[in-house]
Amino acid sequence: MILDAVIARTFCIEGVLACLTVIFTSVRHHTRRLYSMKGIGGDNSSGLCSPVSDADLHVLPSISMRSEQKCLSSEVHSTPEIEKKYVHRVYDAIAPHFSSTRFAKWPKVQMFLNSLPRGSLVLDAGCGNGKYLGLNSDCYFIGCDISPPLVKICADKGHEILVADAVNLPYRTGYSDAAISIAVLHHLSTESRRRKAVDELIRVVKTGGLVLITVWAREQEDRLLINKWTPLTQKYLEEWIGPGSPRVRNTSSTFALESIPEIAENGPGEQSNNFPAQPSNVVSHKIVQSNSRDGDQSLAPKTEEDCASQQEYFVPWHLPYHRAEVSGASISALANGLARKDDKKGAVVYDRYYHVFSEGELERLVSSVNGAVIVDRFYDKSNWCIILEKTS
Amino acid sequence: MRLLTHNMLSSNIKGVTNGFPLLIEVEKVVEKQVDFNEDFLRNMFPKIEWKALVEASRTMGYTELPENAESSMLDSDEFLRKFHHALIELHLEEGALVCPETGRKFPVNKGIPNMLLHEDEV
Repeated sequence: MILDAVIARTFCIEGVLACLTVIFTSVRHHTRRLYSMKGIGGDNSSGLCSPVSDADLHVLPSISMRSEQKCLSSEVHSTPEIEKKYVHRVYDAIAPHFSSTRFAKWPKVQMFLNSLPRGSLVLDAGCGNGKYLGLNSDCYFIGCDISPPLVKICADKGHEILVADAVNLPYRTGYSDAAISIAVLHHLSTESRRRKAVDELIRVVKTGGLVLITVWAREQEDRLLINKWTPLTQKYLEEWIGPGSPRVRNTSSTFALESIPEIAENGPGEQSNNFPAQPSNVVSHKIVQSNSRDGDQSLAPKTEEDCASQQEYFVPWHLPYHRAEVSGASISALANGLARKDDKKGAVVYDRYYHVFSEGELERLVSSVNGAVIVDRFYDKSNWCIILEKTS
Repeated sequence: MRLLTHNMLSSNIKGVTNGFPLLIEVEKVVEKQVDFNEDFLRNMFPKIEWKALVEASRTMGYTELPENAESSMLDSDEFLRKFHHALIELHLEEGALVCPETGRKFPVNKGIPNMLLHEDEV
């Protein structure tokens, strides 16, 4: 029945009739797949094929709409330090190597782009090395990314490209026919910034225009992969609120992770229990104190579900020594602690910040954005994906 | 940067109410031949701010576009060719885009506009 609704809505969209059968088939395929995925996440969040209702909004209490809405635009727009250091600077440093490994095009993205009417203008917000720019030769593409070295790689391939922030696109409203955001939102460190990026994608397409968003899933196909990542809290504590951090030195009485409110909401205290190696006593003590002093109800009791709810990670990027040597960026990155050496692997290791999306989270995120409806959603290659249509 | 992109770009500095169109400071213009796609031109025409395109193309040294345009002109092959040339064959290779309200310059180097804002502009 729900599939029927998806199909009915898809029928209303001009120009995608040709791909309808394909989408229908893929939705069915992924529906089966999704249900089989349910056990992996270990939570009780709603299945992807359930309609997104108000009830779903209560599944993840850590996503607090009301408090988010109070955020001033400047708080949303200004880039938190963690993104500057563990996303922007890392991609700047690894750009050529990253690009040389990013050539495989996801079939679902390809299918979406090939379904667009001839002559469409397509915006790619956070285009990386531009592997999807120009994919459909009947359409016209403009890409942007926040990393100048990645943008330069796109320009060298002859793509139309600019340096811009996906959270604050410098584009007129309603100008493009479609927009894509491929593997971008998971690099934004707050709920409000992720929602603003969705807002922007909707804003820049015309009424009736389609937006494809894909994000990394917490429910990875290869479950062992997650073991190779560093859950954020421990590293976060060391890096951002450790004894040496200016933030701790300056804010002894009101401990707060100002740049990442959701993490504060989730409660760094209980999340730190996810790690075999506890952070230093000093830091743990501070958190416990803060926890009890504030009496914050959002800092839920420690449960097993909290462990399963880990979504903030550092994901390593191994830059082989022979690639690093040609890049002066790695020398300075090693010198200032942005990267470390792994002699066993013969690589300079960078950490990239990720907020991996739980099942249903992307739906909840886009449901809070006005003026768009979900026309398709699916799981593909360890990514949650969604297609929106702008309605007004 | 093509004029298609210029026609889409708008200054998004905090407090700016009308950041469009950005003024163009030209240091170097290049022309690159692009395959003609009539569907694309017809699709884009209603969305193009024509006056801004005419002004921008003149700044770039191309003066063939008519002052005003309406959709019936899309039936003229000559018009389509000029529209095509101005929209996607002219490139600002070096120069700057200037916010019409604040005068803030966004540099364009090697054909790439840098539209990132400073901390105090967001």
